[in-house]
Amino acid sequence: MKSFFRMSYPYILWIALFIVAPMVMILLYAVTRSGNGTITFSFTMENFARFLSDPTFLKVLWTSLRIAFLTTVFCILIGYPAALFIAGLPEKRQTLMILLLTLPMWINMLLKTYAWRGILMNFEDLSSEIRVFIGMVYDFLPYMIIQIHTAIAKLDPNLKTAAYDLGANPWKTFLKVTLPLSVPGIISGITLVFLPAVSSFVIPKLLGGGNYVLIGNLIETYFLVAGDWNFGSAISLIMALIIILSMYLTKKLDTTAKEE
Amino acid sequence: MKKGLTVLLALVMALLPLAGLAEIDPAEFKGATLNVYNWGEYVDMSVIRAFEKEYGVRVNYKTYESNEYLWLQMQAGDAWDVIVPSDYMIERLIANKMLQPLDKDIVTNLDQLAEGVKNLPYDPDNTYSAPYFWQTVGIVYDTTEIPVEEMEAQGWDAFHNEAYAGHTYMYDSSRDAFMVAEKALGYSANTTDEKEIQDAWEWLRTMHRTLKPSYVTDEVIDSMAEGLKWMAMVYSGDAAYILSENEDMAYCTPYQGTNVAVDAMVIPANAENPKLANVFIQYMLDYDASLANSQEVGYASTNARVLEELSGPGGDYEGNSAYVPRAGYEKDEMFVDLPTEWQAKQPDLWAKVMAE
Amino acid sequence: MGKKKPAWHFFTSGYLILVLLFIYLPILYVVVFSFNDSKSMISFEGFSLRWYEAMLENREMLESVKYTVIVAVIATVVSTIVGTIASIGLSKARPLIRSVVMEINNLPVLNPDIVTAISLMLLFLSVKIQRSIVTLTLAHITFCIPYVILSVMPKLRQLDDNVAEAALDLGANPWQALTRVIIPQIYPAILSGALIAFSMSFDDFVISFFTAGKDVQNISMYVYSMKRFNPSVNALSTLIVVAVTIVLVLANLIPALRERKNKKEEY
Repeated sequence: MKSFFRMSYPYILWIALFIVAPMVMILLYAVTRSGNGTITFSFTMENFARFLSDPTFLKVLWTSLRIAFLTTVFCILIGYPAALFIAGLPEKRQTLMILLLTLPMWINMLLKTYAWRGILMNFEDLSSEIRVFIGMVYDFLPYMIIQIHTAIAKLDPNLKTAAYDLGANPWKTFLKVTLPLSVPGIISGITLVFLPAVSSFVIPKLLGGGNYVLIGNLIETYFLVAGDWNFGSAISLIMALIIILSMYLTKKLDTTAKEE
Repeated sequence: MKKGLTVLLALVMALLPLAGLAEIDPAEFKGATLNVYNWGEYVDMSVIRAFEKEYGVRVNYKTYESNEYLWLQMQAGDAWDVIVPSDYMIERLIANKMLQPLDKDIVTNLDQLAEGVKNLPYDPDNTYSAPYFWQTVGIVYDTTEIPVEEMEAQGWDAFHNEAYAGHTYMYDSSRDAFMVAEKALGYSANTTDEKEIQDAWEWLRTMHRTLKPSYVTDEVIDSMAEGLKWMAMVYSGDAAYILSENEDMAYCTPYQGTNVAVDAMVIPANAENPKLANVFIQYMLDYDASLANSQEVGYASTNARVLEELSGPGGDYEGNSAYVPRAGYEKDEMFVDLPTEWQAKQPDLWAKVMAE
Repeated sequence: MGKKKPAWHFFTSGYLILVLLFIYLPILYVVVFSFNDSKSMISFEGFSLRWYEAMLENREMLESVKYTVIVAVIATVVSTIVGTIASIGLSKARPLIRSVVMEINNLPVLNPDIVTAISLMLLFLSVKIQRSIVTLTLAHITFCIPYVILSVMPKLRQLDDNVAEAALDLGANPWQALTRVIIPQIYPAILSGALIAFSMSFDDFVISFFTAGKDVQNISMYVYSMKRFNPSVNALSTLIVVAVTIVLVLANLIPALRERKNKKEEY
């Protein structure tokens, strides 16, 4: 079987070049001092300190997390019933529904966001916050529905029948059987929604009418306008760390849910 | 025989001034590619297509949205043939030896330039740059919400007027934002004085708190054309377009003074096709191309005749107060390239204003 | 299962229809306004095909479509092949190596796009590689492979190891064991990995924005660089909707048809 392992060498080389090396670059910039384009090896933590000690930056971070969190919550609230109801359809209809949900995912996100911009212009009274949420929930909802649906569809129908036989009503069956067993679906849905939502900055920019500075915008500003790659790298790294940490926690949650 | 020779000689003499031009044989470029990097929505594409046809070349035409982004691309070593930076960025590119001089034998149309845009301090003899469009920065506003006299009396102070809270767009560009604050405070737009910059920052923070403006970039053009807000900081060329789309809108060039900017065509030192680049610049400076571009885009032409015709009686921009930039006003300034530390510091301070 | 009341049935169908409406609203909007006679995105002022004509004359826009497709196809093919081979190799690796590689593999999935984008840009700049369609494609392959692996790997681990080993024992060389035994069994997972990769590449903006050079612009970059909204984009989107619908319907019909045929042969 050793010969099979050798097959992964090209890929290991690839990730060393295109995933590990670039991340090392970011790390290097983040812990060094100025010098645009050339790295001067003077180690410093001041880039991190500068971010973490400034209330304005922390507010940006907080806004990004809050928007991502609320987007995720709305996606679950709207998506869960949808996934559940789809799972209750005859099999052919289920496939059709999933196909219908997948189709718009193929249309360019920027184009759909521009369309929302046009639609929402008809409703002048909506606050920019609501506009942003509509755009964000719209973009991520299909992912959430599909993840939860996959989890529910995998459930053994006998479990439900057994619950009915034991005298549980449909509501109780849902609470005690379907819901707990669909938690892994919700969790993988969260992964697909929360993570990209934290760093998303194009939707808030196009729909929020410029009322939001999110962490993605900050990174863009420091790299593209200020030319301060060291600080930009530090912010990128902080954001990546937060996301990987929350990912780790979700995974932890997932395994405990499974053990129960 | 002798007579014949004299005629021939006379003919040669008559053609001599054109010798510079006559050297260019369109066939010489056949099949070449010219890489042009310009601002978004800054050209009439049919002009580019006509140039391609005339010289049998292909123009790879791409766009950018800020001088700073262009600078980053230049540092990355991208080899463009023609780019169109603003004045202060041209100054920086010259200082870093990243440009090559124009071939004045080819680029003879510089003599068609309007007086106000020639031989400016960033490039005193137009050695490197051929002005393309020029503009002021000002305020476009809805006259049904803000009367003309009210706006003219306030100028930049309108950005501190509580009455407009929630109805304002501010352009997300650190250099321009600081210019507005510095002008409102009576400072130079090129100040590097710590205290003055601190004051300007405070001015912007007050603006942020009182007006809660929406920070936008080019979306402001469509949004103001649709009349979504009362006022916005814009470039005069975009304002000219907005005014032509929405007759309620007017343009104010603040009395406190503003930035006058020139975007000019230059040839990077690492251009792959410098000769064709010179030919292209010559072509774009000419009357026909200048006319088409300015009609399409709304920015003020640097071609004297085009500028006069378009703003004059029967011209496309007759009566459009934004089309011709204010010239010769003593409080107006051009940008000078800031020292490196401020190049990073201003965007940093500005990001904090917007995020507060 | 318990009989469902008509009222409940009515409610669930109504809910699903509402969700579908929400999801299709902007797409319908784009399709309708692509036929608008004016450039407004708010009011419809009569039917016209002018934006389709404008689109066909817009070389820059059409080129962005061409490049989007070229990059997506190359990225999909390469990432599917590399990803599948890597998954097979990794599934036989020691658990420690496998988990380390899988963690790194997950990075582009977990990392915010902008971090991946900037890290790749820094890499290209620091080794002085001119950004071009090549770097763009390399970047796309890099963020596509992880999705292929994430799709193929779970399927592989469900496979019975003994089958491949039996094939080897019976004298098959590893290549035959791979192409005749392993790949046919994981084929559906490879296909769905490839589909995800394609749609990721097709839709990407941020990573492309930072890694493309002067020679190339994809659809997202083109749309983002528009200063004033150009309704030709609506025409373009409409055509993409039509194309995607056809492809997806075919992709779903063909397996169904094949299955029917197979079933017929069984009897």
